[in-house]
Amino acid sequence: MTNPVTQNRRHFEDLVVDEVINLGHTTVTKEMIFTFAREFDPLPFHIDEEAARKSLLGGLASSGWQTGALSLRMLVDRFLSTIASAGGLGFQDLKWKNPVMAGDTIGGTVTIAGLRRSGSHPQWGIVTLDFDIRNQADKPVMTMQLSNLVECRGVAA
Amino acid sequence: MTRWFEDIVIDEAFPLGDHTFSEDEIIRFGTLYDPQYFHVDPELAKHSHFGGLVASGWHTVSVGHRKMVDALDAEADRLKAQGDEPGVSGPSPGVNSMEFKAPVRSGDTVTYELIVTGKRPSNSLPGWGLLFNRLTAVNQRGELVYRAEIVGFSKLRDYSMPIKLRVLLALTRVPVIGPLLRRST
Repeated sequence: MTNPVTQNRRHFEDLVVDEVINLGHTTVTKEMIFTFAREFDPLPFHIDEEAARKSLLGGLASSGWQTGALSLRMLVDRFLSTIASAGGLGFQDLKWKNPVMAGDTIGGTVTIAGLRRSGSHPQWGIVTLDFDIRNQADKPVMTMQLSNLVECRGVAA
Repeated sequence: MTRWFEDIVIDEAFPLGDHTFSEDEIIRFGTLYDPQYFHVDPELAKHSHFGGLVASGWHTVSVGHRKMVDALDAEADRLKAQGDEPGVSGPSPGVNSMEFKAPVRSGDTVTYELIVTGKRPSNSLPGWGLLFNRLTAVNQRGELVYRAEIVGFSKLRDYSMPIKLRVLLALTRVPVIGPLLRRST
């Protein structure tokens, strides 16, 4: 059965290893940091500027989970919404390399590192995606490898 | 926040409590950070293999992180109440692995648990230790929702800075020499 939402999108067979997705960029404001941290990461160095100055990070910085969420958003806009994505499987080797400070602009690239058919589900393939997220000074802020399911063409679910 | 590095017991399980996901919050998080159709549109989501709306994995993980922060704060309060000084937890350097095993639907209740599986002093940050944390999330049917291996920094209580480092630190505060030293390190 064809999925009407994804039928006109690129499927697993249309993807190629080494394809580079340019993520564009996004600026992380103080207000964005406070809003995310109050809900998900209310540690002093994410919600209190004075405490942040005295912390290891040396100033107000975004939650690492927020850096990841904003990077994911850029990937959805530029890539996952344009392919027959069937959801994430997880990720590995996530490294927060430098803090994202209030006012920083982050962006970068995602590269298709691998493509393989699912052994147990013939209707799916698995794409692995290498993230390279940097700040406005081109310093790396986050890397990780995400695995995502993608629908294959013409295989009944 | 929390205990000192030295007082953290390997393989002790910390229950972090649970969270029930509403349709509204699933859509709100999805709209901001993961606007794929099965995270934001209950009607279109019926066409996906999930058969309906599911939470972004990043959402269930962010809630798990919040539950951990709350539990660390509660542990600090418990220590203060018995007259002890709580330790200091720092930022996280990364996540070794994160596996999403079962989707979270609106109305699902997810229960989180933290186990510290290992620890060692940090090589790069003097005065701090590394904790290897395993976080698991299970739904109301007992199915594993996700399992994560997360690394965290925790401050050492019994740390005195070696004399060499103290001298270096003092020198970085001296005009002219300081900026040169900071540039070279």
